[in-house]
This record gives sequence, C-alpha cells and structure tokens, in this order.
Amino acid sequence: MNTSDEAGSFLPDFCGARTVFVVVLLAELIAITLTLAQLPRQHVLVALAMYSLFTQWVALSCIAILCIFRRHLNTLPNYKVGVISYLITLLTTLVITELAWWVQNQWVLKDYFGHGHGRFTLRIMGISAIAWALALRYFYVQFQLRQQILAEAESRFQALQARIRPHFLFNSMNTITSLIRRAPDAAEEVVEDLADLFRVSLQDRRGGVELREELALCRRYLRIEELRLSERLEVDWRMDDLPDGVLLPSLILQPLLENAIYHGIEQLPSGGRVSVHSEVLPDRLRIHIENPLPEASAGAGRGGNRLAQDNVAQRLTAFFGQPGLLSAERENSRYHVTVTIPFNDENTDRR
Amino acid sequence: MKILIVDDEKPARERLRDLLRECGEAHELLEASNGLDAVRLAEQELPDVALLDIRMPVMDGLEAARHMSLLARPPAVLFTTAYDEHALKAFETNAVDYLLKPIRLERLKTGLARAQVLQRARLAELQNATAVRTHISALIQGRLQLIPVREIRCFKADQKYVTVYWPGREALIEDSLKRIEEEFEGLFLRVHRNALVAVAHIESLEKGEDGNYRISLRDMPEKLAVSRRHGRAVRQKLKELSGR
Repeated sequence: MNTSDEAGSFLPDFCGARTVFVVVLLAELIAITLTLAQLPRQHVLVALAMYSLFTQWVALSCIAILCIFRRHLNTLPNYKVGVISYLITLLTTLVITELAWWVQNQWVLKDYFGHGHGRFTLRIMGISAIAWALALRYFYVQFQLRQQILAEAESRFQALQARIRPHFLFNSMNTITSLIRRAPDAAEEVVEDLADLFRVSLQDRRGGVELREELALCRRYLRIEELRLSERLEVDWRMDDLPDGVLLPSLILQPLLENAIYHGIEQLPSGGRVSVHSEVLPDRLRIHIENPLPEASAGAGRGGNRLAQDNVAQRLTAFFGQPGLLSAERENSRYHVTVTIPFNDENTDRR
Repeated sequence: MKILIVDDEKPARERLRDLLRECGEAHELLEASNGLDAVRLAEQELPDVALLDIRMPVMDGLEAARHMSLLARPPAVLFTTAYDEHALKAFETNAVDYLLKPIRLERLKTGLARAQVLQRARLAELQNATAVRTHISALIQGRLQLIPVREIRCFKADQKYVTVYWPGREALIEDSLKRIEEEFEGLFLRVHRNALVAVAHIESLEKGEDGNYRISLRDMPEKLAVSRRHGRAVRQKLKELSGR
C-alpha cells in the first residue's frame, strides 16, 4: 500500500493501481455472486459476462470519480468522508443504471435485466448500496489497522525516547575513567549499575515492572550520580512498607530523578538534596520526588524542556487507562513531582 | 604551562589532573568548579590555558570564555564536554577546537598544542548559538568587573558607547543596545532610541508637565525619558505586568 498518502481520510488512493485492482476484484465477486444466485435463462458464461460488464462499469466509474474528488475529501473528518463518498458512489451507480436501462432499450439487452424501469433501478440500487457499504467499511477497517500499526511503532519509539539521556551515559563514562585509577572498586560498581540501567532500558516490558524493581533501579541510578556529583548530591530516601506486587510501566521514576538532577542539582554550585518518599493510601500509592531549583535564571532560554516529564505522563495514562497520574509544581525554589500508582487486584494480578 | 581546569564534577577534574600529569611536562595546575570562579581565578593567576567544561552551574564555559577574553592576557581556551549537541554544532561551524569526555591523552596533547586565544567576537557567535549570559563584563580601570544581569537597572547609549547602570555603579561596555535587546529578550524594555530598562526593576511611570512620560527604576535616583515612539509599548508592557 502506498504509505505516503496517510495524511487525511481513510479512503485509499483510488488513483493507484492497487486500489483499482481491489475494487475490480470486489466487483467481479459481486458479478459471480449474482450469476450463481439465479438460474440464468442464458448460458452461465453469457450471464456472467453481462453482470461483469455492468458491475465493472459501475465500479470503474465510481473509482474514477472518487479519484477526482479524493483531494477535497481528504481535508474532511472521517465520518463526513464516509457519508459523502457513499453518496457519490450511489449517485454514480444511479447514473450508470439509468444509462444501462437506456442502452438495453436501444439494443439487444431487452428483458435481460428484468421488467419495468422502476424495479430494475431499485434492484440495482439495493445491491450496490450493500456492496458499496461493505467496500467502504473494508477500506475503513484497513485504514484503522494501518493507523494502529503506525501508532504502535510511534509508541515504541516514544518509549525508547524516554530512556536514559546520552548526557548521562557520557558523563558516567567520564566518571568511570576517573574512578578506575583512584577508586577501582567504585568504578566497578558504576559499571555494574550502568549495565543494569541499560539492560532495563533496552528491554521491552510492556506488562510493566514491579515497583520494587523500579525503586532498586532508581537507587542504582542515584548511586552513579552521587559518585559523579560528589558531595553536591544528597539523597533523602524514605519508603514506607510498600504493598507487594504493585506494577507500573518500566522506567517511570528514573527519568523523573534524572530531571531532578539535570535541572536541579547540576545547576546549583553547592548542589542540594533530592528527596524521594512514598505515601501509601488504601487503593493507591504516591511517590513524591522533590528537588531544589536554581533561582529563576536570568535568560529565558535556559529552562529545560518538558519532554521527559510529558512522556512519563503519557506512559502512565496508557498503562493505567486514566489521566492525571503525574502532577508537578514549582514552589519558590523547589520542584515537586508526584506519581500516583493505582493498585487493586486488577493491577497487581496483571502481567 | 599554567593550566586552569574548570569543571563542576570532581571526578572530571581529577581525571584531567591525572592526564595532565602524564603529559610529561610539569604543568602548574589550578582548579575551579564553575565559570564565575574560573573567570576570577583567571584574572588573578593569568593561566596560559583554560580547560573549560561547557555545562556548569552559575556560569557556563562559553560565557566564562567570553568574559576571560576581556583580560589583558587572556588564556587560550579549550572546551571540554561529555555531550552537548548545540555547543558541538556551534564549535563545528566556527572551527573551534574542543575535547570530548572521556578525554584521551593523545587528544589532550594535540589540543593543548593547538589551543588558541579566542577572539571575543567569535565567542559571542558561539554564545548566541547556545545560551543567554548571566553576567555582563566590563573593564574598570584595568580590573574585570562581572555584573550580574539581574542587578542591572538600565543600558544607555551615548554616541558610540553603551553604559550599563547597576546600583551605585556604571560602566562602559562593548555590546550594542540592539544586541543586548536581542540576547535578553523580555528582560529589558526599550523606552527610548538610546535606552533599555530592566523590566524587573521598573518602579513607576509618570507623566510630566510637558506631556512626556518618565520612568523611574528601583535604586536609581535619575529618571529616564520615555520617547513618544516607545511610549505606547511601554505602557502596554506595564499594564501586562501589573495585570499578572
């Protein structure tokens, strides 16, 4: 399928060879069905030829007209496209039917399509109304399938984007080179922690991860940053007794900690404290992350983008099927992010 | 050689120290953990080379280099970075040498050999590609003065010089009003063909007997004339601010 024309409506490219082929095939199937449905007075092949002639005529005319109008149709919302293209095809069919009636009266086809102008038209219109409805439905479903594939590819890409910043990778590498001589044990630990972080970030864990795992990963991440930033980073980690089996999407908390360090601690000459603490409620729990911020910077261009945070919010919404699970607020010189993780039997039993 | 190492991360500074010791020659090493300290240290110690990390708190490496270039004997500058797409692009287009962290010994050696004193204009170009300055620098009787942008009350142009005013002080600077207006968009407001005032320090706007508006700024005894041409925009801006 031609994928470059995905912009607007669900209508396929009617000017393209592939769609024309599909429509011709569908029309031929209808012709065969009609031939089989009644015992023809003529030879079967003659009947098939006549039905084919007629259905192909209708089908090709409709394609031609849809091909012409497609550009205009593409700018409309899908339901309008559906209604309008349906009307166009029916109208085209009607015109062809009238022409056919006229032709059969002129020439040899008399009595072939039955008796009476009105009945003839009604029969043809009835059949084509059903056939076109099915055809449009087919195109619509196919379009949705394609959209779904695109959306899935997009969300996978997004998930990858949410992963660890290159900034962090290269800084960690630099920390390691420095530690190798001065504190080989610490260097070893950083390499191990880094490996864990990247292993998780490269895994596809759509079913989510256990909160405990995610928290353990966060501790590893913070350990690396503590070595890099030395005494500038102080971590205040307070966790209550957390319920077992709470699931959340992978790498939800780590990017938020990364933000806290990138936009907060790193921007402060003497650093500060990142506090992470939990709050357990009957049906949900909250993780609060708080970090100091530099005074509103002089320039406007210095603030970071909210990419990572938006991404986390989107993934939370997609996973739990409800919005508003991430909230963030700036209070004087502190930044506070809260992640709400609903848990119930459904959540804890998932996977 | 006297070398100034500037990086906000302790392990990064230690790594550079180790490497410089291995270079063979006995270098005299100095350290600073942010751009502002680095500029002050450079003025006192007159290093030959400054190894400047780009992303640092308080003042980044690019800005520090720009201020250092005002010194009577500015150091040759070598930028270091682990990862910074914007800065790297700017370096490539301006043919400025830089070191990627983790830095290799060989690369450090050739870098030091090639390190050059960067021209102020060229640094300004680099700066434009990255971020907004936190300080404006000026030479006052041969001493480098770093004026925090947030302290500045106004800039006034007189013939070909621009004077910057901050509480109790003033100094001549090299930048043009247009350039300052563009760099600090939104922070300073044009009230006259030859004057920019700090939006954050505006105290009041009064209409004089002659029908002209005058603007007064916090801690500035002198009032500034608002030209007819800019009057409407100034009143609009003040209305926006008080509306918030």
